[in-house]
Amino acid sequence: MAEIKVNPVTLDIVKDSLIAVSNEVFYAFARTSMSPIIYETLDYASGIADAKGQLLTQGNGACGFIGLIAPMIQEIIAKYGKDNMHPGDVFLINDPYMGGGTHLSDIGMVMPVFYGDELLAFVGNKAHWSDIGGMAAGSFTTDSSEVYQEGLRFSGVKLLNRGDICTPLLEMIKSNVRFPETSEGDMWGQIASLRTGYKRIGELCEKYSLEVVKESMERLLRQGAMIAYNRIKELPKGSWEMEEYMDDDGHGNLVKLKVKVTITEDEFIADFTGSSPQVASPINTGYSSLCAGVKVIYMSILGPALAVNDGVFEPMRILAEDGSVLRCHAPAPTSCYFESMIYSSDIVWKALAPVFPEALGAGHMLSVCSVVLAGTKQGSGEPFLIVEPTGGGWGASDGKDGEVGQFCVGDGETYNVPVEMAENRYGIMIDEYSLHTDGAGAGKYRGGSGAVRTYRAMTDGQLFTASFGRNKFPAWGAAGGKDGSYNYFEFHKADGSMEGPMGIVARKVMNRDDTVRMVTCTGGGYGDPMERDPESVAWDVKNEYISVRQAEEDYGVVVDPETYEVKEVRR
Amino acid sequence: MDKKGGIILRVATDIGGTFTDLVAVDDKGRTVLAKSHTTPPNFEEGVINVMKKSGIQPEEITDFIHGTTTIINALTERKGAKTGLITTKGFRDVLEIARCNRPDLFNMVFAKPRPFIPRYLRKEVRGRVNFEGKILTELEEEDIRAAVEFFKKEGAEAIAVCYINSYANDIHERRTVELIRELWPEVFVTSSVEVTREWREYERTSTVALNSYVMPVASSYIDRLDGRIKEIGCDAKEYIMQSNGGTTTFEQAKRTPINMVESGPVAGVYGSAILGKVIGEKNIIAFDVGGTTAKCSLIDGGEVKVTTEYRIERTESYAGYPIMAPVVDIVEIGNGGGSIAWIDEAGSLKVGPQSAGALPGPVAYGIGGTEPTTTDACLVTGRLSPENFDNEVDLDAVKAAIQEKVGDAFGMNVEEAAMSILRVAEANMFNALKLISVRRGYDPRDFTMVAFGGGGPMHCAYLAKELNIRKVVVPIAAPVFSAWGMLMTDVRHDYIQTNIRRMNEVSSEELNQMWDGLLREAHEQFAKEGVDKNQIIFRFIADMRYMGQEHTVKVKVPPVPWTDEVKEEIVNRFHDTHEHFYTFRLPDTPTEIVNLHLVAYGRLMKPSLAPIEPQQGPAEEALKETRKVYFTDEGWLDTPIYEREKLGSGAVLEGPVIVEETAASTVAAKGQRLKVDTYGNLIIETEVQE
Repeated sequence: MAEIKVNPVTLDIVKDSLIAVSNEVFYAFARTSMSPIIYETLDYASGIADAKGQLLTQGNGACGFIGLIAPMIQEIIAKYGKDNMHPGDVFLINDPYMGGGTHLSDIGMVMPVFYGDELLAFVGNKAHWSDIGGMAAGSFTTDSSEVYQEGLRFSGVKLLNRGDICTPLLEMIKSNVRFPETSEGDMWGQIASLRTGYKRIGELCEKYSLEVVKESMERLLRQGAMIAYNRIKELPKGSWEMEEYMDDDGHGNLVKLKVKVTITEDEFIADFTGSSPQVASPINTGYSSLCAGVKVIYMSILGPALAVNDGVFEPMRILAEDGSVLRCHAPAPTSCYFESMIYSSDIVWKALAPVFPEALGAGHMLSVCSVVLAGTKQGSGEPFLIVEPTGGGWGASDGKDGEVGQFCVGDGETYNVPVEMAENRYGIMIDEYSLHTDGAGAGKYRGGSGAVRTYRAMTDGQLFTASFGRNKFPAWGAAGGKDGSYNYFEFHKADGSMEGPMGIVARKVMNRDDTVRMVTCTGGGYGDPMERDPESVAWDVKNEYISVRQAEEDYGVVVDPETYEVKEVRR
Repeated sequence: MDKKGGIILRVATDIGGTFTDLVAVDDKGRTVLAKSHTTPPNFEEGVINVMKKSGIQPEEITDFIHGTTTIINALTERKGAKTGLITTKGFRDVLEIARCNRPDLFNMVFAKPRPFIPRYLRKEVRGRVNFEGKILTELEEEDIRAAVEFFKKEGAEAIAVCYINSYANDIHERRTVELIRELWPEVFVTSSVEVTREWREYERTSTVALNSYVMPVASSYIDRLDGRIKEIGCDAKEYIMQSNGGTTTFEQAKRTPINMVESGPVAGVYGSAILGKVIGEKNIIAFDVGGTTAKCSLIDGGEVKVTTEYRIERTESYAGYPIMAPVVDIVEIGNGGGSIAWIDEAGSLKVGPQSAGALPGPVAYGIGGTEPTTTDACLVTGRLSPENFDNEVDLDAVKAAIQEKVGDAFGMNVEEAAMSILRVAEANMFNALKLISVRRGYDPRDFTMVAFGGGGPMHCAYLAKELNIRKVVVPIAAPVFSAWGMLMTDVRHDYIQTNIRRMNEVSSEELNQMWDGLLREAHEQFAKEGVDKNQIIFRFIADMRYMGQEHTVKVKVPPVPWTDEVKEEIVNRFHDTHEHFYTFRLPDTPTEIVNLHLVAYGRLMKPSLAPIEPQQGPAEEALKETRKVYFTDEGWLDTPIYEREKLGSGAVLEGPVIVEETAASTVAAKGQRLKVDTYGNLIIETEVQE
């Protein structure tokens, strides 16, 4: 450890200021974005790294973006070298197989930060653009078989050279995406927020000197690693294995996932060896996203309130075979990468749930339940595009019922699109947005209800694409709790006919007054339902989370259907 | 007013956690301050106590202005009424699903906010309006009757009504409320449009649900207070402070009590704006440090900023509950006099957000506190003296706490450790002040800081210098400045109407018509409240954005009627405002109006500020003592301490200097100059270089 020359309190003040800068960069972008997926869903992240590309601090909207900024920056350093970077440069990267890769829709930008002549840091961000070209509106689809169908791919190209935009590149982007104004607006918003970060880091150097800022960066990483090692030392040691199937690859084949989690004195290892090879449907994930999926659960065990930086991740090791569905390579399609990424979170979660009951409860809705709907608006005939996740039920845990109508673990500070906004902006009406109270997930603590969201097409020729994972295997119960249910959707046509239920579809045509009813699952229960407090069971009946019959069959509680009082407990 | 001989006597009472404050001013400039203990659960008794203590004759009071924590207390303690919700068929669970977000990203066992209205008390009604306000399905009144029957049976006391798209057409909500009043005259009922006409069904439903939830509590409190005030012989006009920085009548407050949720804290911000007008400063950063928090708010061109994105109980890891009512835009952090200093797991020094509060309090209070606080650090560094405390201070105990809990961890002596606590606390405050200024595109050099509350005057000169603010004002009545602010308020109502229109498509006539609707409503409201027509002032604001964006920026717009030229001017103002906040503009992208926001003021007669006696002779006569005070840059300095009451206008003091008054101390550092102005405000020049 370097000798501390500067007052440690000063270093802490600078450290907190760096975090404040990171927050500012994060929110500045949300406020100006043109895409609902960014400003409502906050499907983006931004962060600051040191000159080596080590993550210092990151602002996340989506949980699944954890730690993805730094690998992106490291790719740029490796490709260009510090000597080929200049103040004002911005690099573009969205390659799914490279560091920080997810799917092509997530556009990464990296900006080196100079103070005087010295490169001292990087700021980076990554945001989901509503469209990046490819075979389908919204760019991500469920039936691509190669990455080339999914849009434009940038493997680290210079977008701004010393502050000047590369016009041919911009023109090429605009000619290849469906909503060029939106994309260009988002691009400038992303650049503006990076410039804000650049400016603020410069101000910190001015105030405290370059040396102090650099030293506080080191202190931040050192402290992060120290806390992580201390906490790992206190965890139970051992190895835990889990093997599960993902629903299917869209062609009827089940996809196997396998993990062995090992915790030692100073390491946290997740080994996915033995998982399925990559598949010809877009549910493959690159290595960076796999790491993000594991980091989420790692954080939940170590302490959800810990600051996110590369120091904290130092004890982690993540292994997966190259060419597997969890570490795919070109040209594997990845537009629905989040299905396998979140499944990777889920099997680590399931493997560790019995070991860490205070941090991990029963299984949840798991899938992003992503919806892409493209069409024209009634009246004006203008095109619209919905790209959004759907909320569902979470599992119960020791001491608490599951949460209702929440987005999956991969999302986070992610907001649904209000009904009133959707009806105003898109060519749809929403007939229903309520809880899916199927009463599944019985337990001493009950699984949280999923949601029902029904869209009615107000014009002809709308195209509906959705990926609702967890459509074959229910949200799992824990510690004796029952399983929850499944995610699905079904089409009710204007002529009265019905199609479904199903979990995956690409560009299904919906005409005027056709509806799609999207239903998400109830989370898994926790503990033996026969141990649930009978008064709570009666309250669940009164509030129609469960039926009178379920109260009796699952919980052994006979509830009066008129007064909702407990008549008898049969256990 | 005649019967009172034409004399105006305005009295403000402000209920706080520990004390109920009173400030009164008459038009001869006589100011009275009083403090009395807050008396839960019968808060009105504390009000009566403090009125008696002040020695003011109740019958002489012309205007009675009140700030209360009753509403926020009822909400946070969950002591509101059993409330039922009536909503559109298909949307019963809007309150429970909320926005699906999880701010606590990595917590897999998080708990989202539980709705104030449980599921069985949420009833659906058929009848549907589309986004343009067109009725698609007629309202089914039998559903309403059934819901009312059910609520009666369940013993509900209040009902909230919110339908999808009611912001575009409120006819179904109005009819529903009318029918409920017929069916059940005693029940408390509100429709969402009575509180807000902004879109977003979850936020609007939450707002009306919370409004109905606190209605019975608010109503009974206001009636009791009104009764007690009248009982002691006061027949003043009565007003209640709202979160938007203005007041309203007791009657209106009973209908929309949710508008009082931040009743107290905002008054200080408003007071800063008023004081600014008096002393000729339009751009102000209001800075208020109390026992547990520091609050700041920016006033641009004399206008207090309001937001409708307020949430109660929100933290970094908890979504809280939205209240879509206009609230003065305040940034609040957990750093006040009682904030505890501690070392985190990584070995970094932190201050707050945990506070020692009034009990056990800072170590210096000697009533059981063992954790070092900001107040203790102020004592060790000489910013406070033991004589500023009511009790006998055990200085050794204070020093020992700081040495053990902070000094030893860093190998520092007690003074360095105390100074470090202040530096961290001030760094937190500095970040909050930057958040409302630099990060929103404002240059602090264009602003004056107004510092108040018990701790504001202590930290302001240092922070202002760090921010490059040239001038700081520590106002008269600084420790009870929120109550002073209430004295200076006007009646204020905000009318916000969502109506999304593209600027290149909407005609100025259509916009004028929309404004006229809001103006009519404001005039009707003021007529009901007996506000003189000549005293009505309007401000016009448009919430605008680029097409495709969601978030809007507030643009100050000219008064109606608008012409096409005015429309063009508004678009230009929007481009400028957007660039100001977000550093870029998109000149080729169409712009949209999302909300029209009418701010309506009913001006009240207010006493003017009276000058204080000019300084006679040398300021040394106000000198109390000279003591050693520790400053960041210079270390220990002999520092003269003055008594504020003894300083006359025109007095000039050179830093380092401290000016003490009951419950506050103003600190100016070496190289700074402190002056007393005509009205007794302390003006600090922070000696900022150009």
